[in-house]
Amino acid sequence: MRGLNLKPARVYQTVSLLLESGSITRAPSWYKTIGSIPPAEILTRTQPVQHRQTTRKSKTRKPSKLFLPQNIEYEEDILRREFYRDHPWELARPRIVLEDDGKDGQRCDWSKLEQPGRQLSGESVVQRQLWLMNVAGMSNSQAYDIARKEFYAVRHEEEVERRVAKEEATWVGAYFGKGALEIGMEVEDKSYEDWRAWATTEVEAIQRRKDAAYTGFGTAHEDDALVDLDAEEDPEAVETEPVKTAVP
Amino acid sequence: MILRNFAVRHGRRAFATQYRNTFLRSLSIETETLLHETEAIAQSIENTTKETHSIEASINQLSIAERFVPPSDAGEEDHEVAANHNLLRTIRKRTHKLGSVPTPEYEPSELIHNPPRPKDITLELLMASQSHMGHSTSVWNPMNQRYIYGIRQGIHIISLEVTAAHLRRAAKVVEGVAYHGGLILFVGTRKGQSACVVKAAKLARGCHLFERWKPGTITNGNEILRKCAIRAVDRLDRDVDGFDEKIQNWTALKPDLVVVLNPLENYLLLHECGLNNIPTIGVIDTNADPTWVTYPIPANDDSLRCVQVIAGVLGRAAEAGQEKRLAAAAKGIVTWEPPKGLGLPVTEEDKVKAEKRRVAAAQREKEAAIEKDKQIKINAARRELYNR
Repeated sequence: MRGLNLKPARVYQTVSLLLESGSITRAPSWYKTIGSIPPAEILTRTQPVQHRQTTRKSKTRKPSKLFLPQNIEYEEDILRREFYRDHPWELARPRIVLEDDGKDGQRCDWSKLEQPGRQLSGESVVQRQLWLMNVAGMSNSQAYDIARKEFYAVRHEEEVERRVAKEEATWVGAYFGKGALEIGMEVEDKSYEDWRAWATTEVEAIQRRKDAAYTGFGTAHEDDALVDLDAEEDPEAVETEPVKTAVP
Repeated sequence: MILRNFAVRHGRRAFATQYRNTFLRSLSIETETLLHETEAIAQSIENTTKETHSIEASINQLSIAERFVPPSDAGEEDHEVAANHNLLRTIRKRTHKLGSVPTPEYEPSELIHNPPRPKDITLELLMASQSHMGHSTSVWNPMNQRYIYGIRQGIHIISLEVTAAHLRRAAKVVEGVAYHGGLILFVGTRKGQSACVVKAAKLARGCHLFERWKPGTITNGNEILRKCAIRAVDRLDRDVDGFDEKIQNWTALKPDLVVVLNPLENYLLLHECGLNNIPTIGVIDTNADPTWVTYPIPANDDSLRCVQVIAGVLGRAAEAGQEKRLAAAAKGIVTWEPPKGLGLPVTEEDKVKAEKRRVAAAQREKEAAIEKDKQIKINAARRELYNR
């Protein structure tokens, strides 16, 4: 598969040559259509869509960077970064990114925070903030404060609803299983216990190896030297005393 | 009555595969012995059908068969059903304008049973179908640089306008090929693509493939497609009699246009098409090779929704082409040429004439032989006379 194979792109030209030379007498049924609709240009590089200002000194004007696609940036990106830096746990909430017909964004009216048919998330805060800045003419921090306070109010409402729903359910006889945090704690505890058991055996093994390194004289544990479980035996040890060894 | 129908249908299906002679010739064994075998098979088919006929005759004579009433269209009039239906219609007519207007929601099955048309291609539709999402920037094929709009969240974003333009071009090609009576093959071998591929092929009156492409299906078609039937049809797509023998000896058909929804997994298919000068259309992602196909459609091949939109649009375009072709045929304009070597169908008259000619030729031969005999005798007599 070395090199370029342009046979698919040159199907029409190939068949034209075959007809000319007389190798085939009848044109295939696709001949006229393909002839009237030439394939698109391929392999040539075009200047990519510019997403940022290029000055005289910018690296994009280097030949090696001239044809590279650029990063797409929006003004909301800064606002998003700020919001999620302040509220990292909002990133843990699952987001629905499915679009219905592609015009979902056009049906939003950001004079309110909550939109019908749209999930409330950090994105709503950012869009609301942008609306307040552009339409209501507020400053960045002013708009941010207003938008996020509206957001907190709605989230607080949701929390209260959840708590009250649980109370009502418990009142009429429902019982709940363990919550996510509880299960998480149990899993962590079990994980810790497993590690603890492993660590204990490891420590014992290390201790045994350390003690084995000092067999024979000069140690406080001469009895251990007698009951040496390691296979390697000193010939001197055999001569001095009968060593009781376990089966290796 | 019902038993007879069933037996004949079953019989046809069980024993209908007649191997084409082109397949037989392509084998390296002596063809004579195989022809004997096929004749033997044909004989056994006849015997079995005779057996089933005799069995069914004996079953039909049983008393149970007398009581059976087959289903028929002309049933009793059911006034209750008609009344209920009318009531439903009036209720609907009175109430359909009431209530709220729900926002258009995405219904996944809509893309299969009512796919969009080429005129429904909008940038919003393509974006909602996730066609702009390419692969990570590190696995791109730089040949696709001209199709990429920019980089967002570490992936290349395929330009929606480029996708729309290429898709419209491909739709025009498909419509044209269908109008000129070309055979279109839709291929989509990934999981979940079977439904849209089959639907597109149905609309295009073409062929579909949603399982692994067998290498050699085009280059070695006589072997691999030997069990596939070939039909001879007229300008209105009706079957024509009188080509049975020609069809038996016909080489395996090749598609006139191949639409591949996942070219990265079907390199061999595209290579075979290139060898046989068959134009191809393919969905090219940012990591795919645009030189593999004749008409690339830069789009996201990993999104099932995107693939369904593309297959749907191309299927609808082919459907439009077929409708135009049949409309022209109804007026008497045929937009295609029959394949070389097909000729005219063999009618009963032709058969009778051929038989007569054969008989006449045999007679002439016989007479010639008698004449020759006579002449030999005369010559012998003359020689005898001269020798005396």
